[in-house]
Amino acid sequence: MSHRTLSSSAKRTYWLGRYLERTENTARLVSVHANLLMDLPKRLPFGGWQPMVNITGSRTLFDTLYDRTNENNVSRFLINDIRHPGSLLNSLKWARENARTLRGIIPNQAFEYINELHLFAREHLCEPLSRTRRVAGLADVTEFVQRIEGFMSANLLHDAHWNFLRMGNFIERADMTSRIIDVGTDNLLESAIELAPFADIQWRSVLLSLNAVQSYNISVQEPIQQGAVLEFLFRDPRLPRSFLYSLNSLRNSLHSLPRNEKALRSVNRMRRHLQNTEVHLLTGEALHAFADTCQKQLAEVHDVINRSYFEFKPRRRPQRTSALKR
Amino acid sequence: MDTREALNPTSMTIRWDTYQAESVWDELITKKGRARKGAKNLCRVLAKLSDDELLARKSAAELAIRSMGITFTVYTGEGSGSIDREWPFDIIPRLILKKEWDDIGAGLKQRVSALNRFIDDIYHDQEILEAGVLPREYIEKSREFRSECVGINPPYGVWSHVCGSDLVRDIEGTMYVLEDNLRVPSGVSYMLENREVMKRIFPELFEDYVIHPVDDYPDQLARCLRSLTEVRSPQIAVLTPGIYNSAYFEHAYLANAMAAQLVEGSDLVVGADDYVYMRTIEGLIRVDVIYRRIDDLFLDPEVFNPESKLGVPGLMRAWRAGKVALANAPGCGVADDKVIYTYVPDMIRFYLNEEPILPNVPSYRCVEKDQRDYVLDNLDKLVVKPANESGGYGMLIGPKASKAERREFSRRILANPRNYMAQPMLTLSTAPTLIDVQAEPRHLDLRPFILSGKKIFVTTGGLTRVAMRKGSIVVNSSQGGGSKDTWVVDFE
Repeated sequence: MSHRTLSSSAKRTYWLGRYLERTENTARLVSVHANLLMDLPKRLPFGGWQPMVNITGSRTLFDTLYDRTNENNVSRFLINDIRHPGSLLNSLKWARENARTLRGIIPNQAFEYINELHLFAREHLCEPLSRTRRVAGLADVTEFVQRIEGFMSANLLHDAHWNFLRMGNFIERADMTSRIIDVGTDNLLESAIELAPFADIQWRSVLLSLNAVQSYNISVQEPIQQGAVLEFLFRDPRLPRSFLYSLNSLRNSLHSLPRNEKALRSVNRMRRHLQNTEVHLLTGEALHAFADTCQKQLAEVHDVINRSYFEFKPRRRPQRTSALKR
Repeated sequence: MDTREALNPTSMTIRWDTYQAESVWDELITKKGRARKGAKNLCRVLAKLSDDELLARKSAAELAIRSMGITFTVYTGEGSGSIDREWPFDIIPRLILKKEWDDIGAGLKQRVSALNRFIDDIYHDQEILEAGVLPREYIEKSREFRSECVGINPPYGVWSHVCGSDLVRDIEGTMYVLEDNLRVPSGVSYMLENREVMKRIFPELFEDYVIHPVDDYPDQLARCLRSLTEVRSPQIAVLTPGIYNSAYFEHAYLANAMAAQLVEGSDLVVGADDYVYMRTIEGLIRVDVIYRRIDDLFLDPEVFNPESKLGVPGLMRAWRAGKVALANAPGCGVADDKVIYTYVPDMIRFYLNEEPILPNVPSYRCVEKDQRDYVLDNLDKLVVKPANESGGYGMLIGPKASKAERREFSRRILANPRNYMAQPMLTLSTAPTLIDVQAEPRHLDLRPFILSGKKIFVTTGGLTRVAMRKGSIVVNSSQGGGSKDTWVVDFE
């Protein structure tokens, strides 16, 4: 008699990891972007909030819910609009729901923290959200999530569930890193020649949103400019928010799980693709296309994980009819 | 039974001399206000504690319960459905002498053996009906009889592997069996946790007393479950309806303590080979024994309630084919019926050829005319219970009911006499319970657990539930009931 990891609880842990990471990423993204806009000319199209919607890939939903792209609508959409499945508040709600059903697997305390964070966000990030309240609230959320992750890292059994939690974290993180980089390709700056002087400010903001300015300075020792930033964010194996770091972490987690062949193959394919691309040379459309491919490949890894561990079809199909029905 | 030595009334914060036990049977204090045999030390220790010390122990208990995460779930009936509450616990234990417990334990084993023989008989030759001990129509009209179970042979002829019988003591001090919960009784985890809490807050008492341990229960349960299969190292699963169930805490607790797998219906699948598998990250893993904590009717949507999302399609097929053991077996509720209960003493005589050791509460069957007439004439003195409800639902407490309620019950009884039985209103025994900083008598019952597999095992003691409201006899935790640690003690 030995203890097994049920598909259902592995799946919930994985999604807990994803939703927690997504909560943190969304909070970072919105605060850093708002911060960036203060440094940019005021006559940007849509007040400069257009890319924030594109980054989440929910342009269509946004357009059906709002008629204007402006700061109020976009930040509401991203933070507390419960009609948007990817809003911060919804991510937290689902993190909480998954944590709740994992009682007995994760420490009660972890659930209590997540619950507390959810209550906090509902209270402090509710409408109407003034700019000041938003800034403070998002900073608190980011910090709170980091505390939760620290707690879990220090207190969870580092077993299969832990690995699923980490995989959820890193898939989400890699996805967000590629999306944030992708903003650099958005027509926000490139289309307008008079905005060219601000390009470096934008790359600084990308680093900021990944909390990586200091690491960049230590590691790259060059002024902030596109090529070096891309190289750093995609391929530095020491930066915990780099794309490669996430892929390496995924690989490590998979290594300690059974039935990992397909998922490993998928992750290794991505690593090769990353190694064979001269990311520092990417610009404009090519960069956009590369980021896009990265996101698609991540979606594939997710599918493989899902099919290998959570939703696999039993080899022996149960019979449809019952011998008992008379 | 009584010790002649009066308790010293000076310097006490718990004033045993004003404790009101004259008009009841109290588990610790005699009618004359003296400590019962075995309870003297306990009363003395408690009396030495100042108010502050008592309150400190009480909050230590509350803290322990919070930090151990001992909760129970209450349905709120609102959108969210349920909330978790911390388990209500009284720090004064209830004592039972080992000598008395040995008799009770023997009585419980006898009773559950007969009940299992009865269930097995009902699904096979029905000898007891042939012999006319029990009218056939009782079974035919039973809501808990499952024709799908006819002819099945679970190991050792045991159907109810885990039984929780409710015991009450009346004003004369006689211990009666009030009912047998043969289907999915709960509460055992609280019995175990109560002891843990008690050890934390009153370690000194464990030096004074030889208190029989209760913590072997999970091992005994695992042993019992393992005896139901021939697989050498079987995979055992606890099947729970999920986190919203009021007993989820217990399901998780027991699975954990037995190193068994806690699963929900959707984690399991029945293969074309009729074996039961669970979906794990390693693939499908066979499950050999399922300790199910969901009701029969939700077990298998192919056979019972087709709407059930809690069950496993094909589970009954797997069980019938002997590919998986189910504890408790489906259909065992046929004996968990308050009218059938009235026949348990007859079953003991019929199957075991023995006299019952533990008495039933005297009961009247409404289906028999003379008994029914008596019930209808004396509704104001009786408690009327429906055959198949649990948790105190659908009952009439005659002395407390209005005229209109009694009239309504007369009508119900006449419309469906098979569904009702009646018992005199018992004055349940009491035990000192801490209310603020004073001990006051509160009514209580006792639920021991009986495990039947290859061998039969009875917990030493059980879960004592207390009605925290003065004069109340409702012990359910959902309705303001509390609990106490139950000590079976040796006393020379």
